[in-house]
Amino acid sequence: MAQQEPVRAPVEHTGRRGFLPMKTNTFDRVFISVILTIAIGLLWMRFVEQYLPLWIAGVVSFILGYIILRWG
Amino acid sequence: MRSNRMGWRMLTPTLVILFIVGLLPFLYVLWVGFYDWNVFSAVRGMTWAGVNNYRRLVFDQDFLNSLGRTFQFTFIVVSVELVLGFLLAQTLVTPFRGRSFFRTIYVLPLVVAPIAVGATWRLLVIPGFGPVPYYLDRFFDYPFRIGTSATHAWLTLIVMDIWHWTPFVTLTLLAGLTALPKEPLEQALVDGANRWQVFRYLTIPMMMPVILTVVFIRFMDALRIVDEAFMLTNGGPGLSTRFVGLHIYRTVFPKTDYGYGSAMSLLVLYFTIVACWLLFIALTQVGKQRE
Repeated sequence: MAQQEPVRAPVEHTGRRGFLPMKTNTFDRVFISVILTIAIGLLWMRFVEQYLPLWIAGVVSFILGYIILRWG
Repeated sequence: MRSNRMGWRMLTPTLVILFIVGLLPFLYVLWVGFYDWNVFSAVRGMTWAGVNNYRRLVFDQDFLNSLGRTFQFTFIVVSVELVLGFLLAQTLVTPFRGRSFFRTIYVLPLVVAPIAVGATWRLLVIPGFGPVPYYLDRFFDYPFRIGTSATHAWLTLIVMDIWHWTPFVTLTLLAGLTALPKEPLEQALVDGANRWQVFRYLTIPMMMPVILTVVFIRFMDALRIVDEAFMLTNGGPGLSTRFVGLHIYRTVFPKTDYGYGSAMSLLVLYFTIVACWLLFIALTQVGKQRE
């Protein structure tokens, strides 16, 4: 009787290790960027918007998102 | 290539249904969240509000409190249900007399609709009518009042949720425990490991995927609690059991503030996703570090 092939997950989680504390693929990094963008926007509206306009939060999120996608 | 095309063809009905019942409503809520839409307001129809609904949200103390309360409730019930469910699953995995009968009786709460569970528990604990306050008062001289005591209302809701959902946790974990390979466990016992070591270093790691699934299902489910709390306490006394689902319901339906309600729902979805993601990272990283 031929030996059966071990069952494998259909999609293997490939990724790389950057400055984030875990292995991430592109989708993970996009996800983290979106999550952080929303968090920054909400916190900005709550605490910072009296002093600085909201579009600055957008710029900060964009830069952070780029850093995460590039080196995360 | 051919099998790939066949796979997509087989998946198409599911994907179409998912798109219609999952993605389209989500996109609609996302869209409405950026508008002011109140059918009773002087302005007819929807007016563009940008991020104003979200700006209003981050200062809405009632909403933030209800969100905190919901997370607190979720954390308590999921932890208790997981521990209790695991213990019961461990008990039920070993054969004993009357096991099938006990299993049948035990899963009965699962088949009862949440709204009926809320109504039944209300009949049990309502002062002046229910047996729980009556017997507590009679035998222990303890006044149990869910209508006036926030602690009693909280406690009743927690016990009710645990009673309702522990069978689900038990059944799922039981399925996982039954499917575990026996050889490593027996081998460990032969090698001199005691039962605690087998449980700690073999059963728990092997059960981790099932535990993760159960925790996520229950976590997301507990965050959406509405009907049971609506029937049992209706968010009271005061705002002490007004969970976020109830809070949204009270904003959307009586006030018909659809834009703001959509923004609240999206924020709850956001927090649910973030919490689940963090939980997943924490649980899987702990497993990897142990390896």
